Amino acid sequence: MSQATHIRNFSIIAHIDHGKSTLADRVLELTHTVADRDMVEQVLDSMDIERERGITIKAQAVRVLYQADDGQTYQLNLIDTPGHVDFTYEVSRSLQACEGVLLVVDAAQGVEAQTVANAMMAMNAGLEIIPLINKIDLPAADPERVRHEIEEGLAIPADNAVLASGKTGEGVREALESVIALVPPPEGESDKPLKALIFDSYFDTYRGVVALVRVIDGRVSKGMKIRMMANNTVTDVEEVGVRRPANLPVESLEFGEVGYLITGLKDPALVKVGDTVTLAKHGATEPLPGYREVKPMVFTGLFPIDGDQYPDLRDALDRLQLNDPALIYEPESSHALGFGFRVGFLGLLHMEVVKERLEREFDLDLLATAPSVEYHVYTTAGEEVVVHSPQDMPEAGVIERVEEPYLRATVLVPPDYVGAVMELSESRRATFKDMQYLSATTVEMHYDIPLSELIMDFFDQLKSRTRGYASLDYEYIGYRTSKLVKLDILLAGKVVDALSFIVHRDKAYQRGRVLTEKLREIIPRQMFEVPIQAAIGGKVLARETVRAKRKDVLAKCYGGDITRKRKLLEKQKKGKKRMKNVGNVEVPQDAFMAILKVDE
Amino acid sequence: MRSWPSSRWMSSPGHTNPNPPGRPLTASLYVHVPFCVLKCAYCDFHSAPISDEPGMADHFAWAVGEGASHWAALGALDDVASIYIGGGTPTTLGPSLVSLVESVQRGARLVSDAEITVETNPDTTDPALAGRLIGSGVTRFSLGVQSFDDAVLRILGRCHTATSARRAVDALLDTGARVSVDLMCGIPGQTLDSWTASVEAALASGVGHVSVYPLTLEEGTPLAIAARVGEFDAPDDDLAADMMQAACELLGAGGLQRYEVASYARPGEESTHNSGYWTGRPYVGIGPSAASMLPAALFEAAIACEAWSDPGVAGVGKTLDSVPPGTSRVRFLRSADTTAFLRKPVGPPEEVEFLTPAQAAAEDAMLGLRLAEGITEELAERAGGTEILGTLEARGLVEHVAGRWRVTETGWLLGNEVFEAVWHAGTRRGLA
Ligand SMILES: Nc1nc2c(ncn2[C@@H]2O[C@H](COP(=O)(O)OP(=O)(O)OP(=O)(O)O)[C@@H](O)[C@H]2O)c(=O)[nH]1
Ligand code: SF4
Ligand SMILES: [Mg+2]
Repeated sequence: MSQATHIRNFSIIAHIDHGKSTLADRVLELTHTVADRDMVEQVLDSMDIERERGITIKAQAVRVLYQADDGQTYQLNLIDTPGHVDFTYEVSRSLQACEGVLLVVDAAQGVEAQTVANAMMAMNAGLEIIPLINKIDLPAADPERVRHEIEEGLAIPADNAVLASGKTGEGVREALESVIALVPPPEGESDKPLKALIFDSYFDTYRGVVALVRVIDGRVSKGMKIRMMANNTVTDVEEVGVRRPANLPVESLEFGEVGYLITGLKDPALVKVGDTVTLAKHGATEPLPGYREVKPMVFTGLFPIDGDQYPDLRDALDRLQLNDPALIYEPESSHALGFGFRVGFLGLLHMEVVKERLEREFDLDLLATAPSVEYHVYTTAGEEVVVHSPQDMPEAGVIERVEEPYLRATVLVPPDYVGAVMELSESRRATFKDMQYLSATTVEMHYDIPLSELIMDFFDQLKSRTRGYASLDYEYIGYRTSKLVKLDILLAGKVVDALSFIVHRDKAYQRGRVLTEKLREIIPRQMFEVPIQAAIGGKVLARETVRAKRKDVLAKCYGGDITRKRKLLEKQKKGKKRMKNVGNVEVPQDAFMAILKVDE
Repeated sequence: MRSWPSSRWMSSPGHTNPNPPGRPLTASLYVHVPFCVLKCAYCDFHSAPISDEPGMADHFAWAVGEGASHWAALGALDDVASIYIGGGTPTTLGPSLVSLVESVQRGARLVSDAEITVETNPDTTDPALAGRLIGSGVTRFSLGVQSFDDAVLRILGRCHTATSARRAVDALLDTGARVSVDLMCGIPGQTLDSWTASVEAALASGVGHVSVYPLTLEEGTPLAIAARVGEFDAPDDDLAADMMQAACELLGAGGLQRYEVASYARPGEESTHNSGYWTGRPYVGIGPSAASMLPAALFEAAIACEAWSDPGVAGVGKTLDSVPPGTSRVRFLRSADTTAFLRKPVGPPEEVEFLTPAQAAAEDAMLGLRLAEGITEELAERAGGTEILGTLEARGLVEHVAGRWRVTETGWLLGNEVFEAVWHAGTRRGLA
């Protein structure tokens, strides 16, 4: 159909909330891709959870047809990406389907941590970067300052940066004109055998696996026999199409184009993101480079509240993984919680999102234990044990040393808040490395910090202590030895394995005390008194008590409206069902996350 | 006074008597009068100030009579054990209440010692009206006192004082009727002393029946809002438990025995109507938001009535043409809309619940445990509750004596635990 010269593939990248999805809305409107009546704000954020939280979680590819100022019609394949650091992997995958990016920077906020991180990624991928200063309608907008920050901080020429507002639509046409002028059309060869990169996929209950692809060479059309190169699976193409943003079937996808394909494959494991699709016969011999495996950073136990849902949880994880290749998991069992999975995530938001999607999209009731990191334990016998879950920690007596993962954290903050960042970082065992002025208004600070500290409310604290000005990015740098101990929590005298956690020895007493207090507030009164203790290897550090419940009576029953009374009882029962029965003690879900909210 | 064009309202022919075989059905009759002088701060019952539209009270009394004739024609009122006129505050109807009481009895056949209770509040208790009510057959008054402490009454937003409450009790006792007073504990700002003083005052007043309820803060009520914004502390459960125990001891010592979780009576003054609810006796409810519980056959007969299939009336009734197979009893609720009730006293319900024999048994067991006498082993077994009752016994909440299961002293305070467990055990089995 379209000539490759009239195709432009680009991603919109930015720090969180800088207005990528809103800008995409304007593009969809300008190109009449979505009917007016179907238009809502951030229309590409189609998951409930994205709409509720007002953030993008999944990258979304959409094709629009744009009539340019030169009178020609161009096919633009744009990918709206998420800005949150946990979903960086979505951005990196999207970039491989593109030749250029629109780097969006909020005209009031300026360059922030993920602006830097995402811009670096685009540079390393060799893409054309078009800076776009957004939200110029804001009273606090300062495009000149931001232009300066882009040039100084990112070393990207910003003389011709597009000035735009996703709110008013100003500058959106200019942005598309820049894309056409600056982003090169895709290169590839139509005569070569098909080579297409699977950059995303999802499971459709009716159609099975839907793979989103970027065709590099050749073409793919309905009815073709194709091969997944990673595992040599051959299958038929049942449908090819483009996202506008709903699926629209087309005859074929030519080299350079972005679209989706549906095959006969129903097993998620056979269609891998990063894999190359080629022809079944006389196909390509060399696959595309694919993607680097992502390493999960935090691990939590996910357990069905109702033990019968364990097999459903396994299926759900299999399917969700298709749409979220960053997700990894293995079976885990706990004395307190029964059978479940230890699941690895890229960060806390990723964890919350996965849990919520599992519950909503697969109708499960899940309980998550507090996140932990991967510890490397070296025993006196000279063995190395990898510990993902506090309950797997070897006895203190056999431990020679423990290593924990460290991150290099980058904090961007106005100079006034440098002190606040220093103070917080010190309290979190972070070591200051260096700092530099990106511009007169932004300081870039570097720290080495244990990941386990970062996942403890660090980001929220950082935001609140800098009045929301600080932004944070981090990367994994390696393992370092720390003095770590396992702290156990006992309910009614019994250790609850799912509540144990690993903590630095110097902080054990204090965290134990605060946590027992917190648990006393969270655990409702039961039929009997429940002592709560925090202990290290049998030595009790702190103790609190939940008093026994004495009264639970219904009020007046009027005129035989027993249905209503019963409904109240049922509601009460349902509330209890959301709790986990741990050795006779009803423990609400919050209890397992309480450790994260232990303010110091 | 304006008279209502009766021809417009009387068009409800087509009643068929299901003619239940054998003995007539023994039932109770409940009438809901949704009016109060002012709404109390904790109240989430269906009540609103009575409108001053002339003839409103008469119109309401007439509508209740219409409802009663409908059920009488269906044979539901052939053996009425008790009538309870509740609310709201029925005495806000004034003299019209007398005609209401008369008209509900018209088509009904009452058992010889039938109990007819009228609920009232101190501020609307008029000795002359009370006397006339006795004349029309009323045997019992239930007086909402809640507390004999003016400070507490103010917090509750009640529109009477301790003095007017005492005066009302005296006036009602003077009529010769049985009198019950309601008391409420666990109120924010109420001390244990204030509470025991109220209980003692109730005893001293000479009434033969006292109901004791802990306050529940119902969402959306002014009291709950005030508690949430921190105007006062939420009721303390431990203190409420102490109060309930104190009431039990004081009333027992004063000769009023606890026969139900919330009710105390001098022997012989137990409420027939109240006990009916806990023993599975069918009941007919008339008035906005009134609940009824009837055997499936009777409900089916009602569905067939023309008045129920009037498409102009909102309710689920009109979409029902039969009762699902395997239903043993039906509980249903009329809409809470007073205007709709006045326009159409007979009509389909807004909510319906069909109970299978297993569910009915579970419900009987759950409710029967509210009574001091508890339930028989046979009912426990039929309700699939024997096992759970064993567990509850081990936890000290129920006891198993002389062929019956009943709730213990601790169990009274934790009634919800018991009721919920028994209901759940029974219905789970029913679903399996
Ligand atoms: N005033 C103004 N507000 C804007 C503009 N563009 C976006 N916003 C607002 O900024 C917030 C974030 O917008 P989004 O489009 O969701 O930002 P995003 O970059 O897609 O965010 P993530 O996908 O979560 O990284 C929303 O409240 C928008 O209404 C703009 O041009 N002007
Ligand atoms: S008297 Fe009873 S029904 Fe009327 S408002 Fe007060 S609590 Fe509610
Ligand atoms: Mg977005």
